[in-house]
Amino acid sequence: MSLLTNVMDHGLDEGYAEAAAARGGDRDSRIPGTARGLLTLGAGLALVGVVVTIGAVNARKAEPTLAKERDALIHRINDSNASADRLQQQVQDLRRRVDSTQQQALASGDADPAALAGAVGLAEVTGPGIKLILEDAAGTGAGGNVDPRAGQGFSNSGRLRDRDLQLVVNGLWESGAEAISINGQRLTALSAIRAAGEAVLVDNRPLVPPYNVQALGDGPKLVGAFESHMAGQYLRLLQEKYGIKSTISAQKKLTLPAAVGVTLRTAQPATPEVSPTASPTAGQPASPSATAPSATASAGAGESPSASPSPSARPSAQSTGKRPPSGSAKTTTAHTPTATTSGSSSAGTGAARP
Amino acid sequence: MIAVLGLVIGVVVGLFVQPEVPDAVVPYLPIAVVAALDAVFGGVRAMLDGIFNDKVFIVSFLSNVVVAALIVFLGDQLGVGSQLSTGVVVVLGIRIFSNAAAIRRHVFRA
Repeated sequence: MSLLTNVMDHGLDEGYAEAAAARGGDRDSRIPGTARGLLTLGAGLALVGVVVTIGAVNARKAEPTLAKERDALIHRINDSNASADRLQQQVQDLRRRVDSTQQQALASGDADPAALAGAVGLAEVTGPGIKLILEDAAGTGAGGNVDPRAGQGFSNSGRLRDRDLQLVVNGLWESGAEAISINGQRLTALSAIRAAGEAVLVDNRPLVPPYNVQALGDGPKLVGAFESHMAGQYLRLLQEKYGIKSTISAQKKLTLPAAVGVTLRTAQPATPEVSPTASPTAGQPASPSATAPSATASAGAGESPSASPSPSARPSAQSTGKRPPSGSAKTTTAHTPTATTSGSSSAGTGAARP
Repeated sequence: MIAVLGLVIGVVVGLFVQPEVPDAVVPYLPIAVVAALDAVFGGVRAMLDGIFNDKVFIVSFLSNVVVAALIVFLGDQLGVGSQLSTGVVVVLGIRIFSNAAAIRRHVFRA
């Protein structure tokens, strides 16, 4: 408070009072009498005028600059908005074209039933591909003679878990695999990789390590894509940290068996004139929609809709079929096989990239 | 007479020369303007009080401007430039107000 009172009380420079006292108290000196004094006063006031004027001029000069900068920013925002709109429009156009081309191809009978069966996993397929062997770490008691139903969960971190396998399979789909089997189990749109006890189940059949994952695709290219994919790096991490061995090799010729027991009980194939919003998310490359389970598909491969770690969209198949005996909640469907003509599905990044 | 002349000359010089203010000094210009106004109001009040002194006027004006700019400069270096310039403006503003009130009392006797 005293500071404020001080400021209020001493509005006048104390120098004036002191100078007046030194002069001897004649209090009629309103303006300086001498020529020198007058000149000093004039010069001082001129200085004041210069400072104030420069300040005013400067403030006026700064104003248009600020306005100009703001205008430029607004311009840039508008430009970016417009180009984003354009790109969005392009995405929509391309998506519509993809849909219509797909419908055309299906309607014109190009869609060979045999090819479709191969694509969705109902027929044996053969071709080049890769072989990925995953082995539990040494000394985890998982030789193959272990009872997969015994034990309490994955107590040992040296064992490959179901979610590791899910990650690997998803990585393979995203790397461009066209068909995948694990230990001779062909993955389909209805497949689930899950855990029960200490065992990893694929389509409700327990797997015995080592896990032999085979994927069809352009072998060397697929190997490269997978190794640089997040899943490949994850496998290297598993090897370093937990000693889970993984060997990947390109194969000239692989034959993947057909899946068994793929039956649609309540789902009906959608009619071709389905609305173009059939693939609402950009992340889902349109799969052969005539045979792929649509949103209402219900599957024999029972599965509980748990939070799926699968990074991309999957056909949401609500299970109304028979439940598997196990009560484990770890469930995930694998990807829809995307047997598009491009070969590389690159799920999750959108099919309709401008 | 000479006071008015000096002011007019100053304004004219400022308008016509329009010196290019260096960018480094620009932030201190408003503070300098406020300090100059404070000196002017103090001088006018002293004149009306009958204790005006030209030397005190000049020195107080120059030192006000320099000290105010220095305080703000220091604040800028410490990262509290805007706060310190607010402080300077508040103090000088209070002084301008009280001097203006004293001038008003002299002129209107109220």
